[in-house]
Amino acid sequence: MELVKRYIYAVTQRLPERQRADIEKELQGLIEDMLEDRVQGGAATSEDVEAVLLELGNPRELAEKYRGTKRYLISPELFTTYLSVLKIVLLSVGIAMTVTFLIETIINPVQILEHFVSNLVSLLMGCFQAFAWVTIIFGLVEYAGVKKENLGIMTSDRWKPSELAPLPDQRNRIKRSDPIAGILFTVLFLVLFTFSIDLFGVWRFQSNSPTIAPFFNEEVFSGFLPFIWAVFGLSVLKDTMKLIAGRWTIKLIGFDILVNAAHFILALIMFSNLTIWNPDFMLQLAAAGLTPEGSEAFQTVSRIWDRSTAGLIYIIGLIVAIQILILVEKAFRISRGR
Amino acid sequence: MTDIKETINGLTQELRRGTIIIGVLSQLSEPQYGYSLVTILEQKGINIDPGTLYPLLRRLEKQELLESKWDTNEARPRKYYLLSPKGKEAYEQLCREWKSMVVSLDSLIQGGNDNGAG
Repeated sequence: MELVKRYIYAVTQRLPERQRADIEKELQGLIEDMLEDRVQGGAATSEDVEAVLLELGNPRELAEKYRGTKRYLISPELFTTYLSVLKIVLLSVGIAMTVTFLIETIINPVQILEHFVSNLVSLLMGCFQAFAWVTIIFGLVEYAGVKKENLGIMTSDRWKPSELAPLPDQRNRIKRSDPIAGILFTVLFLVLFTFSIDLFGVWRFQSNSPTIAPFFNEEVFSGFLPFIWAVFGLSVLKDTMKLIAGRWTIKLIGFDILVNAAHFILALIMFSNLTIWNPDFMLQLAAAGLTPEGSEAFQTVSRIWDRSTAGLIYIIGLIVAIQILILVEKAFRISRGR
Repeated sequence: MTDIKETINGLTQELRRGTIIIGVLSQLSEPQYGYSLVTILEQKGINIDPGTLYPLLRRLEKQELLESKWDTNEARPRKYYLLSPKGKEAYEQLCREWKSMVVSLDSLIQGGNDNGAG
């Protein structure tokens, strides 16, 4: 009878929790009935048990029949897109890492071997990260798609001919290159922000190794990294959906606007925190010999620096606002076009 | 030639699959539990393996065509299924469909014999 229990366990373990107890009881009864029918009052031998279980078939298939649907992390419909996005992301990680490596080599050619090794390690880590995030994002898209097939990605059961997507119209068509470039840049900046934030700064090439006066306070900046990862992840998700859909829909535009807003809020939080800026920027600039302390240039740059740190948020706000306006205009055109 | 046999087997199974639901519904104006249903259907020449029937019963219950009740008075607890009012309606509709299908197909098959193979 142990075999029976193992069989039932093999089935129910593959089923949703709340159905398990009921199906377990049902299968138990069924197998007992089948055994009884088979031995006609005699005692069931282990061969009888095996024969009955064989008749019921592979527990995996039985569980599948009970569930009604096959389960996927990423369904065959999405798999092609998943693969192409994965390729793009891995490629961009590779490019970003190589760019970082080249920059580091230019700055400090003596330690080329050390850079090479650390770059190789980061490359590996980066690829794992990229793989995990892309898979997670697609898993979420899959989950949402299964829940309600209205992402504009999957077709629902009931459809009207009038719902057919219009032929690729130049105006609301999304060129593949657009989201691909989006993902490339997102990943590039993500890698740079994560591993080499000190590269963002004013470069000064002296003799053979350049010096950099970084814009940001590395410690404060890295405190924001989890948020940056989250928002940039949203960005990749958006570009992925654009890649899958291939054309603008109202929902996609709504999501794009949300992602833009998320970027702005993140920037607002980050840059309204003035400690994020490198407190020694002016001194380092002076030390690099670009603007000797006390000179007129020092005063001018110092003024610009003070103003731009405060003003950057307005510039970002303006860019985001323009992007949202363009999106809203697109939404109007689509809704009127129908 | 096993290939054509396999194809025919697959086609036959496909053909049967749709009729099984009518068969199951037809026997459930009285409450039955899964295995008793297997036996009854078998006696009437409809073979269905329990591994297919049990999940099917559940699906029909989920579609509100069947109602179920556990009977714990017997030696072993059994889940009894019975047609719901909706199920009755569905069954009658399916029967009508089936009958008209049989008439149409019969005429097609006989018509085919007249003109073609026959």
